[in-house]
Amino acid sequence: MLTNVFQLLPLDIRSLLERMPQEPLESLEEIRIREDRPLEISCGGESRFVAADGCLVQEPDGAYRPSAEHCRKLLEKITNYSLYAMEEELRRGYITVAGGHRIGLAGRTILEGGAVRGIRDIGGFNIRIARERIGAASFLMPKLMDRNRDRVFSSLLLAPPQQGKTTLVRDIARSLSYGFWKGGDTGRRRGRKVGIVDERSEIAACVRGVPTFDVGPRSDVMDACPKAEGMMMLLRSMSPEVLIADEIGRPEDGAAITEASHAGVSVIATAHAFDLSDARGRPELKKLLEQGAFSQIVELRRTREGVMHRVIQLQMRGSPQGSLDSGNGWSSLAGEQLMRAGTP
Amino acid sequence: MIKLLGAVLILVAGTLIGFQQASRFAERPRQLRSAAHALKRLETEISYGHTPLPDALARTAAASPEPIAAILRKAAQGISSAEGLSFQESWENAVAEEWRNTVMTGGERAVWLRLGTTLGISDKEDQSKHLKLALSQLKSEEENARDDQARYEKMWKSLGVLLAVLIVILMV
Repeated sequence: MLTNVFQLLPLDIRSLLERMPQEPLESLEEIRIREDRPLEISCGGESRFVAADGCLVQEPDGAYRPSAEHCRKLLEKITNYSLYAMEEELRRGYITVAGGHRIGLAGRTILEGGAVRGIRDIGGFNIRIARERIGAASFLMPKLMDRNRDRVFSSLLLAPPQQGKTTLVRDIARSLSYGFWKGGDTGRRRGRKVGIVDERSEIAACVRGVPTFDVGPRSDVMDACPKAEGMMMLLRSMSPEVLIADEIGRPEDGAAITEASHAGVSVIATAHAFDLSDARGRPELKKLLEQGAFSQIVELRRTREGVMHRVIQLQMRGSPQGSLDSGNGWSSLAGEQLMRAGTP
Repeated sequence: MIKLLGAVLILVAGTLIGFQQASRFAERPRQLRSAAHALKRLETEISYGHTPLPDALARTAAASPEPIAAILRKAAQGISSAEGLSFQESWENAVAEEWRNTVMTGGERAVWLRLGTTLGISDKEDQSKHLKLALSQLKSEEENARDDQARYEKMWKSLGVLLAVLIVILMV
């Protein structure tokens, strides 16, 4: 998994990171490369700078500073030496590379008629490492199932960036597709037809149309497709039972989700928001919630104990009054398994 | 008897040298033209096909005659290798190694090297402009090469024989 990322890095930076201790290397989440500024990594939710000898330091003073040459080589490598073929990606500000890793870019933008056409003079890269966590969603799966009607609740996953939304939604897709609902990979039922709209190629990390992550045997992936159009296309062509989309929030996404929910298709989507009240502050999400397009909300929160989740049932078609699932509502995604593993 | 054999050898050698020089003049416009075709193809791959550069180079190489194909292939190999070369370095290496197999001269080489600093690192329109510029420079070189061919090809062919004859006469 990391070899995919390390191949892209200029030799100096690669050998530097390879000299890092094993433990942070395994939980590596982001590599931030900024021209002439300290090299930063983040692992396990904390960020560190990398010193010239591969040690991790708290302070940026002694840290290694990538040069302009490094940045140029990195840019060439991640664009496959073909900036001209990446115009759409540059307009959006990130490039997804093989393995589903997303590389965010920052630099000077080029405007055309007031709209951003691309970025040039790129001086900042944020390499986000995609991880496949098989079983990440297993404790959530029973709560996604509407047993009375034998279908999946339309759910909206809410979390701030970097809380594991995409990892979770990928495993939900896999579990639905295989039919693992009961928690764990036991309790197998009928798998569902899953349609995944993978606008950023992060969920399935397709290479030439074939998913490289396991998203299940009954999943169809519309790769690098705008979400709204992709959802409509899948609805028309692939007859999905569940539609999965990452990071909704634009007006056209809302229209497509409404369309899908009226067509009897369950939608599982993620959005950037701290919690439900925060989500209601976003006009598109608010509209969707008021229309009753989602029957439940899943909030994710990352704590020291791992990723916690809370399910909020929404009253169908009514005003979205949240009622907590149980107790304080928060439970660990890893569940007892992790706790048991944690105690010696 | 030996004198006669020597004279024949000198005549044959002189003729061959003359023909070889002449063929360089005949070959240069042909290579320039295939270089121009290759650039044209590369431009199509880039601006219409949006083909990534390594693939575009490989496809262009497959459709081009040697020795142009060898340069393109070498450049494509350079960037897919694990050495972490930038495209410019890989391109310059390829030109440095493969150029001696061509009969093209310094002017074309400069045009070719300049491409290495621009290919792949800008948007479609810009790539297209750079390739068109290189193409027009190669075209004007090709015209020069044709003039040279008309002027020197025949000359070298007869010059070789005549010089050989002169040497034979002086020796006898």
